[in-house]
Amino acid sequence: MGGKITCTLGEVKNRADFIVYWGGNPAECHPRHFSKYTLTQKGKFVPLGRKGRTMVLVDIRETPSARAADIFLQIRPGKDFEMATALRAIVKGHPTDAQVVEETGLTVAQLDDIAHRMKRARFGVIFFGMGLSMTRGKHMNSGAILTLAAELNAFTKFVCMPMRGHGNVTGADVVLRYTTGYPFGVSLSRGYPLFNPGEFSTIDLLVRGDCDAALVLGADPGATMPQPAIDHLTRIPTIVLDPKVTHTSRLARVHITTAATGISAGGTAYRMDEIPLPLRPILRSPYPTDEEVIHRIRTVVATKTPWIPQPLATMANA
Amino acid sequence: MLRITGGRVYDPANGVDGVVKDLCIEDGRVVKNVESGRTINASGMMVFPGGVDVHTHVAGGALNFARGLVPENQRVARKFLHGGDRRSGIGGMTPTTFATGYLYAGMGWTTVNEAAVPVLSAKHTHEELHDTPIVDKSCLLLMANNEIVLDLLEAGDLERARHVVAWMISAAKVYGVKAVNPGGVAAWKWGKNASALHESFEGYSSLTPAKIVSGLAQIVDDLQLPHPLHLHCNNLGVPGNVATTIETMQLLEGRRAHLAHLQFHAYGGDSWTTMRSGAAAVAEAFNAHPNLTTDAGAVLFGDAVTITADGPWQHLLYQLTGRKWGNLDVENETGCGIVPYVYKDHNIVNAVQWAVGLELLLLIDDPWRVFLTTDHPNGGCFWRYPEIVQLLMDVDFRKEQIKKLPAAARERIVLADLDRQYSLYEIAIITSAGPARSLGLSRKGHLGAGADADVAIYPEQPDEGGFLFSYPRYVIKAGAVVVEEGDVTAVTEGREFIVQPGYDSGIADFIRPLFEQAYTMSFENYPVEIERLKRPEQITLRPAE
Amino acid sequence: MITLTLKNAPHVPLEAEALSPDVMATLSNEAIRALPVLLGKRQRRLDDFFHVEGEASDELAIEGDAARIKWIGRGMTRGRISIAGNAGMHLGAHMSGGTIDVSGNASDWVGGEMSGGLIRVAGNVGGQIGAAYRGSHTGMRGGTILVGGTAGLEVGMRMKRGIIAVRGLVRDFAGLQMKGGTIVLGSGAELRTGAWMMRGTILSLRPIPLLPTFSYAATYVPTFVRVYARHLGALGFSIPFEESDGAYRRYTGDTSVPGKGELLVWSPHGA
Repeated sequence: MGGKITCTLGEVKNRADFIVYWGGNPAECHPRHFSKYTLTQKGKFVPLGRKGRTMVLVDIRETPSARAADIFLQIRPGKDFEMATALRAIVKGHPTDAQVVEETGLTVAQLDDIAHRMKRARFGVIFFGMGLSMTRGKHMNSGAILTLAAELNAFTKFVCMPMRGHGNVTGADVVLRYTTGYPFGVSLSRGYPLFNPGEFSTIDLLVRGDCDAALVLGADPGATMPQPAIDHLTRIPTIVLDPKVTHTSRLARVHITTAATGISAGGTAYRMDEIPLPLRPILRSPYPTDEEVIHRIRTVVATKTPWIPQPLATMANA
Repeated sequence: MLRITGGRVYDPANGVDGVVKDLCIEDGRVVKNVESGRTINASGMMVFPGGVDVHTHVAGGALNFARGLVPENQRVARKFLHGGDRRSGIGGMTPTTFATGYLYAGMGWTTVNEAAVPVLSAKHTHEELHDTPIVDKSCLLLMANNEIVLDLLEAGDLERARHVVAWMISAAKVYGVKAVNPGGVAAWKWGKNASALHESFEGYSSLTPAKIVSGLAQIVDDLQLPHPLHLHCNNLGVPGNVATTIETMQLLEGRRAHLAHLQFHAYGGDSWTTMRSGAAAVAEAFNAHPNLTTDAGAVLFGDAVTITADGPWQHLLYQLTGRKWGNLDVENETGCGIVPYVYKDHNIVNAVQWAVGLELLLLIDDPWRVFLTTDHPNGGCFWRYPEIVQLLMDVDFRKEQIKKLPAAARERIVLADLDRQYSLYEIAIITSAGPARSLGLSRKGHLGAGADADVAIYPEQPDEGGFLFSYPRYVIKAGAVVVEEGDVTAVTEGREFIVQPGYDSGIADFIRPLFEQAYTMSFENYPVEIERLKRPEQITLRPAE
Repeated sequence: MITLTLKNAPHVPLEAEALSPDVMATLSNEAIRALPVLLGKRQRRLDDFFHVEGEASDELAIEGDAARIKWIGRGMTRGRISIAGNAGMHLGAHMSGGTIDVSGNASDWVGGEMSGGLIRVAGNVGGQIGAAYRGSHTGMRGGTILVGGTAGLEVGMRMKRGIIAVRGLVRDFAGLQMKGGTIVLGSGAELRTGAWMMRGTILSLRPIPLLPTFSYAATYVPTFVRVYARHLGALGFSIPFEESDGAYRRYTGDTSVPGKGELLVWSPHGA
């Protein structure tokens, strides 16, 4: 079934000699990725630094990141799943259809070369970005890259890591997992956690109009989501907690300005490789922290009739 | 104040074997007498010191990684509903934090030792333990593949290695030292393993797993840590690993050590087709080495999730089974591998594994040295411990289960020849008194005056179709009644035990440049701030001169 | 026969697994009306939303737009549900027997992990029909799902046995990681059909784009197609099998796994 084979970034810094960036533009979106973790540092086992590494960039267009690449593979839009699936076959020595492969914009020879380099690497890593996870195929694109990396471990050491989005998205993932068992898209309506992406994930809930109130913290759906989702947020009571007045704030019922985490508010953030890092605020803010605001809301909610969900015999376990 | 009256008390640490006597509790401790307060009538019930789980995986990066891999398990797992001061959660093989506390307490277990913590993500472990209610906790720090330490061991600089280990323990805010597949997890950073005790491994030239084991055992003893080196031996799960295990015991002569989940290290044969029980040989060697303790790591048929720092083993399991696989290597320190798995009673290898855990528990003579665990969730879930208790106490029940195994498996085990039955007194030892003593927690595992008032009260007969020990009538934690009639009725917060070993304060300057090379964060951010721990209780140690 | 007429459309999804023949077969009218349903987080009574006529029957007739009503027929083992209108998510999930008929559209997860029985939706369905729930190794293990309209993503994902037949266009990933069973695509599918399949048959009556890990094997009419045609024909779904009309181009794959699945693409004569 595949899996997730990964490591913390120090492993990449010290060992990786073959780095693939797929569907991401780190030069602009993760600006210190090359210099801190992947390309320029002299690693304990990569003493030559940049010269001891090969970097491959796979993307639909030549971004500034391509300048840093040794090999740039310009793939046609919407063909990442096909390319990764073909690579899975090629790595195992199984046949592919050359003509269909070439619909990806790359030739069989190019894929053979990449597969060969991957297997010959001492320590390979694929970083994949939102160019993969947010385009047609979505989680299956991510799954394809992850499975490819897992299968390469039959030949050499290979890991794979998503390039996470901004803010403390990894922290939210970690905390949700340990408190509810699931990383996102969690419903607590039954009194215990339920998970089903597509049913309980944010965009889908909003587009279908399945919720009748919204609290938005540290995000700006009003700027990024499809119009039907934005329309729904406008219809229902929406509350925003943010240091800035955002697009979402403008359509919300209530906006509460809070202190900026990491600048005026402390806490813990999780890096993309799930390492917890303490946040040390350096400035004072006149505004309350997100945490204080949530506590105050909960205090008021606690004065209302308590919600005691009952187990329903009709929903037996599967 | 609380008086428990009329119950049959089992308190092996104080030699009490099923005597009907009162137990008095005040201010969270057992006392000789109380004048007032609540009385619990425990007639027809058994009174045990709260269970102590010496080896489990319930909090931190590896376990949380596992949670994310198995949403299908969570979906069918026991549900904990939100209500009152009860938080919602999911049970199953990788319980969520709140549910972990409710599940352990609900069984009468009150102290839990998280067996594998990397320094780098220790903050995460403490965060999860912070959210694990009721039970008291301790944790063990992964050291046997820490390359800063390994480099020192290879150079023969044991003294400096000791200071580094002590600094790490202090930085991570933990209780003891864990060694997993020494050298093997470091070799896995290059996709290799360390299978030979006296041979070096990838990345090193003269350092061997044996030298890591001896070195760390000595360091732990020199630091006078209350719990000995806690060791997951090389070659876990490999047919024929009996030899490695016995050789490791020989290496540890003259030192204290605790061998983790011994079942996984007691296989004979030389391949998957010839794999058989090696429990007899391992038990014999173990019996002859009184400096050692161990925990069973028993297997139960059904679903499990294997979570271990033994990365190479998990890659192999993935290739053998085609199941899901998770892996996370941690820079400089360790790694983890995860493979969700099912133990099937018609699978010959699984049947042998099931037998081996029980054989070890029955063939090891001294119950004070062998403790009840399943290496949760590797061999089975902790909330199934009562099933193992039944298999140990009831030889007829055990033999019935053996008959259900495939004939080819029955030929490879000795379990059918073993007639020993554990008494309740011995069960109290292997589930509470023994592990408490091994952990060096002097107020745990007994019911004498001064003990922490952690008490589990069970009916003398199990419920219809159930197991003894599954549903305590009452559980008391630090003197508060937290479980009544099988329901968590009060949610208290436990403590976290940590040690502060002595070390040369200059060692931080030695570590810093090595840290800056190996890691990718600021050295100042590496240690765990004490404020992250909920109710820490620190034991300050002095190193041997 | 129990007739349930929707009187108040829920403004957020209503979770109503109580709407099942197994639940209602022995209940009085009063007990049926008191059955619990969940409106978001609030537990309500069934008759807050439905007029209920009849009792103690395993035949249910639901009338009204139940597009927001989830888990209808969950785990049912017998009897019949007819919905004159639309149905919400998880229709017939985990069912092992009985029949569900929907005159309108249904949503995602129709027949999720079902093991038997028949579901017929005249209109369109969403995605993940007959599929495995997230993380689960296996989807539908038996039974039949027939769709008159279109279907969404991941139709038959990880199914092991059973038949899914969709008359209209199907979106990406039909037959994803399939382990067995049969999917019939009456109007073909969009991308990535049969991705990572291990075993099983996907029969498409229109040409479909193929992954690079499928290869052409032969052109013929496999014998079993006649058998399936008869079976599906009795259920109102026709598939061609006469050699005079054409043949199936067979592709095997997915070599990335490697799998032994087959795609059969109908190629009419003269095409």
